[in-house]
Amino acid sequence: MEKRSKRLIWLTVNDQEYEIATYPNRTLLEVLREDLAMKGTKEACDDGVCGACTVLLDGSPVRSCLLLAVEVQGRKITTIEGLSSGEKLHPIQQAFLDHGAVQCGYCTPGMVLTAKALFDVKAKPTEEEILTAISGNFCRCTGYNKIVKAVRSVAAAGQGGR
Amino acid sequence: MDGLSYVGKSVPRKDGPAKVSGRAEYTVDVSLPGMLCGKVLRSPHPHARIVSIDTGKAERLRGVKAVVTAKDSLKIKHGFVQTGRYPADQYPIAIDRVRHVGEEIAGVAATDESIADEALSLIRVEYDLLPAVFDPEEAMKPGAPEIHPSHPKVEEPYRNIGGKTQTSWGDVEKAFEQSYLVREDRFVTQIRTHAYMEPQAIVASFDHSGKLNVWLSSMGIFLKRAKLANTLGLPYGNVRVLKTYVGGAFGGKVDLFNHEYIASLLSMKCHLPVRIVYSREEVFKGARHAQPLIVELKTGVARDGTILAHQVRTINDSGAYRGSGVVVIFLAWGFLMAPYRIPNLRYEGYSVYTNNLVRCPQRGHGAPAMRFAVESQFDMIAEQLNMDPLEMRFKNARRPGDILPNGDSLKSFGLVRCLEEVARRTNFVEKHRKAEQERKNGSRIKRGAGIGTCSYFGGSLVYPNSSSVIVKLNDDGGISLVTGAVDMGQGAETVLSQIVAEEMSVPVEDIQVCAADTETTTVDIGSWISGLTWVTGNAAKKAAENAMKKLLQVAAEELDADPADLEAKNKEIFVKHAPHRKISYKDAIAASIAKKRGDSIIGEGHFRTMKDERAHPSLATTHGRWSENYSSYAQVAEVEVDTETGVMKVLKVTTAHDCGFPFNPMLVEGQIDGQVSMGQGHTLSEEVLEDRGSVINPSFLEYRIPCATDMVETDYVDVITEEYRKGQHYDTKEVGEGYVAGTIAAVANALYNAAGVRLNRTPFYPSRILEALERTAPVGQVQDHTDGCVRE
Repeated sequence: MEKRSKRLIWLTVNDQEYEIATYPNRTLLEVLREDLAMKGTKEACDDGVCGACTVLLDGSPVRSCLLLAVEVQGRKITTIEGLSSGEKLHPIQQAFLDHGAVQCGYCTPGMVLTAKALFDVKAKPTEEEILTAISGNFCRCTGYNKIVKAVRSVAAAGQGGR
Repeated sequence: MDGLSYVGKSVPRKDGPAKVSGRAEYTVDVSLPGMLCGKVLRSPHPHARIVSIDTGKAERLRGVKAVVTAKDSLKIKHGFVQTGRYPADQYPIAIDRVRHVGEEIAGVAATDESIADEALSLIRVEYDLLPAVFDPEEAMKPGAPEIHPSHPKVEEPYRNIGGKTQTSWGDVEKAFEQSYLVREDRFVTQIRTHAYMEPQAIVASFDHSGKLNVWLSSMGIFLKRAKLANTLGLPYGNVRVLKTYVGGAFGGKVDLFNHEYIASLLSMKCHLPVRIVYSREEVFKGARHAQPLIVELKTGVARDGTILAHQVRTINDSGAYRGSGVVVIFLAWGFLMAPYRIPNLRYEGYSVYTNNLVRCPQRGHGAPAMRFAVESQFDMIAEQLNMDPLEMRFKNARRPGDILPNGDSLKSFGLVRCLEEVARRTNFVEKHRKAEQERKNGSRIKRGAGIGTCSYFGGSLVYPNSSSVIVKLNDDGGISLVTGAVDMGQGAETVLSQIVAEEMSVPVEDIQVCAADTETTTVDIGSWISGLTWVTGNAAKKAAENAMKKLLQVAAEELDADPADLEAKNKEIFVKHAPHRKISYKDAIAASIAKKRGDSIIGEGHFRTMKDERAHPSLATTHGRWSENYSSYAQVAEVEVDTETGVMKVLKVTTAHDCGFPFNPMLVEGQIDGQVSMGQGHTLSEEVLEDRGSVINPSFLEYRIPCATDMVETDYVDVITEEYRKGQHYDTKEVGEGYVAGTIAAVANALYNAAGVRLNRTPFYPSRILEALERTAPVGQVQDHTDGCVRE
């Protein structure tokens, strides 16, 4: 097997700059989870289908399993770890708790970040916009009903924005 | 339910903050120093003798720390069922024969994933191919390739019978003769899968004291411990399963899996931690999926719609090993007999070995197939009798106090009330009639409504049969709740906390849960027979009562009062009629330690069901009691069918549910929503496709589970049949499994109501609906596989 060599890259994750030596074929998901120990970002399908690995790249939701870490240098990456400040939860996270939108919780980080990105472009999305926005994030536990209810409540309160 | 502060309330999840902030640790997140990547070598063949295995090259590869094959194993078999009649039939690592594609042959542990992959490619296995069979009815034929010898107690000349369930009562022949109408129909359900988001995962770390520490994604840690210890030849105490959160299971993470054994064996060989995490493709190609079932159902009814007899034959494709095949044929009988009265019955269920992947339970375990069959046929019969489908269900539904043929009592059975409530809430009768009329108009889009019911057991006797809970008081009056319960999303930790909070008058926030560790917590029945809230909940209640009794005794001495005159509220104990005489929990605990020889107040509680039964009923004969509590529910599905494209949408499902008493209504609703969605997927789109035993749609792109834009509107009606009273035993019922079945049945009947087509095979692909529409002769005519005949 050909010997690969590591490369030094700089990533900005949750407003913090990191210098990482990694192989160029590593995905953003792998680097976040393994090099930065940010395990809130989950892997579930390896195909970019299920949305569990969603992070925000300059505010837009992306599949971190489909991006190479070397590609996103200089961009602003937000993971679930960067959403709440200290113990205080973001209103979207709080709404997920209040409305029973969490069961096993495995899809939750990706789902919450997708909702965050939606609110960043539109403070009061319609029901259809909510459904479309989260349709790329699979949840097997909830049937989506309580997730949509939670997101709707944030929209109603106008609390979803930055 | 007056006077309750915590139980019966929609308390937010205990594990919620950790989960929404990404800090909850799942097995895939566990990382240990020096941890190796483990991989499994699998058979590419459905049936073959292993002539030789050469691991030399793999072992010599730089970075490989261990390779294991059957040579390293004790060659002790395991099985989902391990009884005298059904002994274990599967080696945890193949010895000299493989019986399905994907069967585990060897394991490697290496310093990184690419080295592990390379090592797998360097293992040479020589096979001698054997004839294979993939269809259960083909496998039963006398000339079929033999995968395992048929069970010695099965007398028919069939091959490959892993087990048989047989039971009967009354006189079926006579009943059919006396019937006004007799129908025979055949229903086939597909192979579905759980689609848990967290894949199969384990980290195994054998330490220098001879203890195997494992983190794994499971539904019950004590069953995993027992099976690991038995197959590895370790004392139970030397296997420690530690807590992780579980990213969904739905039946797919019960039992011991071979990759878990292999990870453990690798770690025991190299004394380093070994992690095996499946890719999604490996989950589809190597993990167990749900049990498919064929149901042949012959039913005789009187002119007024009363069931006189059922004659039923079920055939299960259990895959290459018994798995839960002999359970599903037993359970299918149970889900047949529970909701409606059946005066005469003959039931035969066969579990058949094939060269397919091994099967396992999935949410409902037999109920979806059986209720789909029975409820579909009910509507066909009702139509032939010109009866309203609801009326036919009222006529046959079991009533509270009915005694089932196995001796179980339906003491508080709420099915009739559920039927009434769901019909009222949805205006079912009118909707159903209206859709029937509109079916005949020329519109392209048809709407319809259908009804389905189910009834489910809870907390039956399955290893480890009981739950224990410990409640420890801390110096400041806070509480540590110690339980072996696994929270896989259903909310076990939350509900148990609510119970302890209620009994001890302590806010839920003041309860810390220490859970799911076989070494530091207590035995637990597991999150897989729909009995945790009941069994572990009653244990938690007893533990809390036990602690409270001790606390009140100390308080009585300190306050110079009778314990019976004391009341507790918000971590204080006071004299009922003189509330100024009070003592805080904190001071009472300090007094106990000072004056009671150091007793810091620890309560213990234990609970098991079916106290007069030694064990689970016989899977083969159905003899023996099964459950003390039967849930029931009626569901109405409203659908829309595009008659040009064949695309059906499930618009709304309304559920009237008797789950006993909803301990946490928000969690109950969450369970129902999830099952409606899973039922929707099973009915419309989900199917694991196998070609010669190999899964050919191994991804979420090709196995389509519902997404948000498919969301079904849900509505619920509580039918409360049990009570929770402080200080007393309570009964409660299942809410997490059978609604999949009710949903599938309701959707099937709604399809017929909307479009006049009856499908006897799931899923209802648009192509199947279109085909059926094209075949549709005059509306209401019975579709394929049926021969309804009316006797006057």
